[in-house]
Amino acid sequence: MSRLNSSRELEHLRERLREQRQNIATTVMVCGGTGCRASGSSAVIDAIRDELSRQGLDLSVRLCVTGCHGFCEQGPVMIIEPGNVFYCHVSPEDAFEIVSQTVMKGEVIERLLYTDPVSGERVQTESEIPFYRAQDRQLLSQNLMVDPCSIEDYIVAGGYSALTKVLNAMAPEEIIKEVKSSGLRGRGGGGFPTGRKWSECQEAPGDEKYVVCNADEGDPGAYMDRCVLEGNPHLVLEGMMIGAWAIGAWKGYVYVRNEYPLAVKHSRIAVEQARELGLLGDNILGSSFSFDVDIARGGGAFVCGESTALMASIEGKVGEPRPKDVHTVVDGLYHKPTTLNNVETWANVPSIILNGSSWFASKGTQGSKGTKILALTGRIKNTGLVEVAMGTPVRTVVFDIGGGALDGKQVKAVQTGGPSGGCLPVDKFDLPIDFDVLSEAGSMMGSGGMVVMDEETCMVDVAKYFLTFLQDESCGKCVPCRLGIDRMLEIITDITEGRGRPEQLDLLEELADTVSQTALCGLGKTAPNPVLTTLRYFRSEYEAHINEKRCPAGVCKALITYLIDPDKCTGCGVCLRACVHGAITGGKKQAHVIDAQLCQKCGICRSECRFDAIRVA
Amino acid sequence: MLQYVNVSIDGAIIRAVKGNSVLDTAIEYGICIPHLCHVPYLSDIGACRLCIVEHVVNGRSEITTSCTLNVEEGMVILTNTDKIRKLRRNIAELLVAQAPNSRAIQDIALRCGVKEVRYPFRNEDCVLCGRCVRVCAEVWKAQAIGFVGRGKDRHVDYPFGVRPDFCKQCGSCIQLCPMTITPCDGPMKPGEERLCGKCESQLMIADQTPDHCVWCKLGEGFGCGRYV
Repeated sequence: MSRLNSSRELEHLRERLREQRQNIATTVMVCGGTGCRASGSSAVIDAIRDELSRQGLDLSVRLCVTGCHGFCEQGPVMIIEPGNVFYCHVSPEDAFEIVSQTVMKGEVIERLLYTDPVSGERVQTESEIPFYRAQDRQLLSQNLMVDPCSIEDYIVAGGYSALTKVLNAMAPEEIIKEVKSSGLRGRGGGGFPTGRKWSECQEAPGDEKYVVCNADEGDPGAYMDRCVLEGNPHLVLEGMMIGAWAIGAWKGYVYVRNEYPLAVKHSRIAVEQARELGLLGDNILGSSFSFDVDIARGGGAFVCGESTALMASIEGKVGEPRPKDVHTVVDGLYHKPTTLNNVETWANVPSIILNGSSWFASKGTQGSKGTKILALTGRIKNTGLVEVAMGTPVRTVVFDIGGGALDGKQVKAVQTGGPSGGCLPVDKFDLPIDFDVLSEAGSMMGSGGMVVMDEETCMVDVAKYFLTFLQDESCGKCVPCRLGIDRMLEIITDITEGRGRPEQLDLLEELADTVSQTALCGLGKTAPNPVLTTLRYFRSEYEAHINEKRCPAGVCKALITYLIDPDKCTGCGVCLRACVHGAITGGKKQAHVIDAQLCQKCGICRSECRFDAIRVA
Repeated sequence: MLQYVNVSIDGAIIRAVKGNSVLDTAIEYGICIPHLCHVPYLSDIGACRLCIVEHVVNGRSEITTSCTLNVEEGMVILTNTDKIRKLRRNIAELLVAQAPNSRAIQDIALRCGVKEVRYPFRNEDCVLCGRCVRVCAEVWKAQAIGFVGRGKDRHVDYPFGVRPDFCKQCGSCIQLCPMTITPCDGPMKPGEERLCGKCESQLMIADQTPDHCVWCKLGEGFGCGRYV
């Protein structure tokens, strides 16, 4: 394809591509996101492609390998147009049937449809599935239409029309005004108003300015940025171009973590394609705007998601935060004014420009506008990516979309915002998903991770898990974060191992407060949140560990013992054979006994027992 | 030519040299802000967090380190509120629990009002203040030592653990190290660490005048910017 020299040439290209595609009657959209690839979608894609060419359909049927659809639990998933037929758990062996029945004749294969867990009926389209029904998918739905490696797909779907709109008709000030009035706030965690950031950066002195896209997502259990960047990289690029035009930047970076190989690959391809078409480079679409983007790969440090550490890392220095008494919008990358936004924030920009700020502001609450992608994981039925309008209650996300806890257990809490967020108990589930409300409750929106916990989760153990993560990931530069987290972990380890003392709870609270107020960067400032919120909402669990030396959820190994209920034990001997430590004794058809001295509390016997005879006390 | 700005530190209106940090200005005017990683002729990294102050902006106060905060016209700074003193004491407590065998750290703890240590003592040789790393890089332009590792593995070392040729063993790093100031009572044995608190006269000063500089002997110990 040749370079586009004006907006009109882009429109011509769009029309030409659309005409070419009019002949294509059927589209098979298979999810090629990392989640579905892990469940084997690559083999499915190959099988369908082979099958299509075997039946001579490769020209009339379009096979589109898309980014993440969201319902990773059911992967590999695919949608077949027309008819909007949604198939889940597809395997390569199904390819023949899918092509010869659904693609050729439009017949639906019942077996591959999704079964509604409540009614037990099979449903045909996405919109009938409860998981999707309560969602408002503005960004994720765009993933379905495009092949991330194809700029043509993106252009056909209306891509880069927001860019032509701003280049032709909007002054930088107008763009910033539009973004400001849309109420868009940073999706990476802090929730800083994007428009204000842009205008501060635009007003900052200096000709050399940068825009950076933060795709160094590292929260355990969160992957929305990955799915947006690997599913629709051009959307992010278009957002960055608009931002760059608004603040006057000529260079951008996408900082993506190296552990996301697909996101790195797709964003590289996208940049190459955009350069080829002249959408990146000098005088974009014949205008005076010149802009280019480079992909920078992260080296694996969680702290590099922090703005100043990220910039140090791009500069080739050690990824450590520095004090931000002068903000990065004035003194950022290479000491130049820099606008750093999260992947999702950039991805929201094109639709704000196209549909107007009032459209965006019509969704959400007073303080938080638009939609937010959440990564729903943990002990829940439907794991996956969920996009809801701001203001949706946590309850809707966990129960209506997520389907509640696994195996009929009770949901106990949800951890929002990754390691820096907090745990909200069930009685706070009516809180809306909103930056300010979640912060007030002691948690935070964060990047949007949502880890659901059931009754078998020990909240002290959860706090310990996150502290261990943060201790590993703290850069170690400042004292409160390095030593404070270390000491908090020391105290919590004492508590979980039965050495806790009542006065340690007050010390823990005081220390957590000190760390959150005095640490150098956002990582340290928010690191005590898991401790503070579990102390606030689940203090009784801490007290049980300390005063009664008992772990109510039966998790902390030092405080539990495994017992065999002699009434339930049939003496089948399964546990005896399963125990690797030889701790179980007992004759045939007689109740078995666990030797507490030898028992290592691994729990294998309990999971092997078919009579529910082994319990934790 | 020097330009001046007016700042308010603890209610006193001070004419400060533009471009100076709040910490330098405060020390110059005799206001005590305990500090560890700050050395007047080296760049500031804000690592020890002892020099935290409250910076009041539009009625809201935010806590930041005074060594990295530059004075600006009309700035309002509070260095010794109850809140700050408590936070500073907690940080000093963390430090002294980590390296009780350093006189400098003991003196800082005393100056910050640490009366008891609620954590088990550890006998570390380094608190990662980074004075040595910066003097090597900034004064001698050698960069013969640097930080290695992350989080709890962070330590100061030569590149790849081998002393490079360009380390001339000048000893500047040792001179600035808070661990090398000889403890008055001799080194504590591992397992016998304690909060020293022997300088009773200094203890009284620390209690009665926490907020202004009285040229205390403690400052001499921890290498207070006033003595440089």
